[in-house]
Amino acid sequence: MTTRSQEPTAPRSDPWRFLAGDGAVAFLMILPAAILFCLFYLWPFVNGFWLSLHNWDGFSDPTWAGFSNYTRLAHDRIFLGALRNNLIFVVAVVILKNMLGLGLALLLDRALVGRAFFRAAAFVPVTMSFVAVGLLWSWIYNPVFGLLNGALDLFGLGGLKQSWLGDADIALYSIIVVDVWKWLGFHAVIYLAGLQTIPSELYESAKMDGAGPLQRFRHVTIPMMMPIVFINTILGLSGAFVRNFDIVYVLTKGGPNHATEVVLTYMMSKAFQDGAMSYAAAIGYVLFLIVGLASVGLLAMMRRQRLDI
Amino acid sequence: MSSAAKPSLTLDSDAARRPRRLGASGVLEVAGLYAALILVLIETLYPLLWVLFGSLKTKEEMLSNIWGPPSSLVLQNYVDAWRIAGMGSRIVSSVLVTGSALIILVVVATPCAYALARLRFPGRGLVLAVAVAAMLVPPQVMAIPLFMVARDLGLINNRLGVAFVYAATSLPLSVFILRSFFVTLPADLEDAARVDGASRLEILIHIMLPLVRPGVALIVIFGFIEIWNDFFLAFLLLRDPSVQTIPLGLVSFFQQYDSLWTLYFAALTITTLPVIVVFLAMQRQFIAGLTAGAVKG
Repeated sequence: MTTRSQEPTAPRSDPWRFLAGDGAVAFLMILPAAILFCLFYLWPFVNGFWLSLHNWDGFSDPTWAGFSNYTRLAHDRIFLGALRNNLIFVVAVVILKNMLGLGLALLLDRALVGRAFFRAAAFVPVTMSFVAVGLLWSWIYNPVFGLLNGALDLFGLGGLKQSWLGDADIALYSIIVVDVWKWLGFHAVIYLAGLQTIPSELYESAKMDGAGPLQRFRHVTIPMMMPIVFINTILGLSGAFVRNFDIVYVLTKGGPNHATEVVLTYMMSKAFQDGAMSYAAAIGYVLFLIVGLASVGLLAMMRRQRLDI
Repeated sequence: MSSAAKPSLTLDSDAARRPRRLGASGVLEVAGLYAALILVLIETLYPLLWVLFGSLKTKEEMLSNIWGPPSSLVLQNYVDAWRIAGMGSRIVSSVLVTGSALIILVVVATPCAYALARLRFPGRGLVLAVAVAAMLVPPQVMAIPLFMVARDLGLINNRLGVAFVYAATSLPLSVFILRSFFVTLPADLEDAARVDGASRLEILIHIMLPLVRPGVALIVIFGFIEIWNDFFLAFLLLRDPSVQTIPLGLVSFFQQYDSLWTLYFAALTITTLPVIVVFLAMQRQFIAGLTAGAVKG
C-alpha cells in the first residue's frame, strides 16, 4: 500500500539512495530489535533446551544427559507437588479474577456518581509491586498483630483465627487471595470497558420482550461479553503461571514444607541453592510447554467462538 | 462457565432492580450499590492506609493501637528506614535501570514497529509471527539460560546490562502495540513527504513519531510499571547489594530486620506512595497503558 519502489526518483542525487528501497530500510530499522531479541530471547530459549539435555552445575564441563532430566522430573515428588500447586493457583485466580472482576465492573457501571473515583481506587493495587503487595499482606496475615486476625476478633469470630501462612492446608489459598486482591481492579477495568460497548438498545428490546434482570444478564450481557471473558482469561492465565514467583517468595518462600511451592520457586531453588542448572532449565521448559499449550488452546477456542457469534 | 457466572448473577440482580421502580426501593437500590462500592473501597485502600498509619507510630503504639491513626507522628521512622534500608542507592539503581531500559525500548521498538506497519519487504510476515509467538513465551520460563547468557556476556550485577534484558523482555508486546498505532495513520502524509524527497528515517522521526506519541506513552507506562516493580529478573541478575533495585532492597530489609515493624512500614510507604501519586495524577494514561495489551491484543 505504501510501496513506491517504481516511482521516479527524487531529483537530487543522494549517495544513500540504495537504502531508499524498502527492503534495505526495513532491514536497518528491524536490525536493532532483532539483535536485542536474538540475544536475550531467542538465544536463551534455544540454549535452555540444549542445557536441559545436559548435566551441568554451571561451572564444570557439561555432559550429555539426553532426556534424563525430564524423566527425573516425572518422578520428582516436590516438582509434581509444585506443578499441582501451580495448577490450583492458576485455576483459582483465573476464576476468582473473572467472577469478582465482572461483579465489580457491574457495580462500577451502575455507579453514576463517583465512578472514576471508585475505578481509580480499585486500580491502585495494580500499580503496586508484587513485593510491596506481598510484604503488606505478610503483615495482614501476621498471627500476632495482623489485620486479619484482629478483624476476626473485632467481629467476635476469634475462633476462625488462623496462622494464615504457617498452616500447610491454607497457606496456598492465602496466597491466592493476595494475587486476586492485586489484580482485581485490572480485570474489572477491562470488563467495564467491555460493558460500555454493549448497545443499550439490546437491553431495552430484551425488556420489551419481558426479560427480567437475570434473563437480561444471561441472554444479553454474557453473550456480548464472551470476547472480553476470553481476553481476561488469557491475561489471567499467562500471568498466573509465571508471575507468581515474587509473591510466593515474599510470603512463604514455598513453605511450609513445600506446601506453597510453585514451579518457578522450585526452579530457582534448584538452580541457585542446589546448583542443578540443567535440571532447573528442564523445569523451565516444562513450564513453557504447559503455558504455550494452554495459550494456544485458548486462542484456538477464542477464534472458534468469534466465528460462532 | 456457568459456575463462574453465578455470583455475578446475584450481584447483577441486586443492582438491576433500580430502574424498575422509583421511590423508596430505588433509593434502597442506590444505597445497596454504594454500600457494596464502599466495601470494595475499604478492602482496597484500608490496608494501604494501615501501612501509612503504622509508619508514623512508635513500636509500642503499633501493638496497642492496631487499627487507628497514630496518636503522634513519628517521622524519625522515615529517617531511620531511609538510612538502614539504604533507600538512596536503591532508588538510584531503580531509576538507572528503569530509565535506561525504557530509552532502549523506545529507540529499538519504534523503527521496528514502523517498518512492520508501513513498509513492504520480504519476511515481514515472518517477523510479525515471531513477535506474536514471543508474547506466548514469558521470559520467566527461560530464567536459567537467561542467567547463563547474561553471565557469559558479563552482565550480572551490571545495571545497564540488565536494562538491555528488560528492554528485550518488553520488546514483543511493545512492537505489537506500536505497530497497531502506525497502521492507523493515513498514507497520504507519508506519500507527500516522499515526493518531497524525505527519507524513510526522516519521515519516521519528523512526521510519524509525533502522531504516534500516545502509543509511545502507552509502552513507556506499561514498561515503567513492569520494570520498576519487577523482582524476579532483578533477583536473578543483580546479586550484589550495591546495585540492587527497590524491590530487592525491600525484601532484604524485611528479612534482616523483621522486628523493626514501624521502619518497615515507613520503607514500604516511601517506595509505594510516589507510584500511587503518579498514578492518581495520570490515571487515564496509566489505565490505558496497563490494559493496552488487552485492548490491542
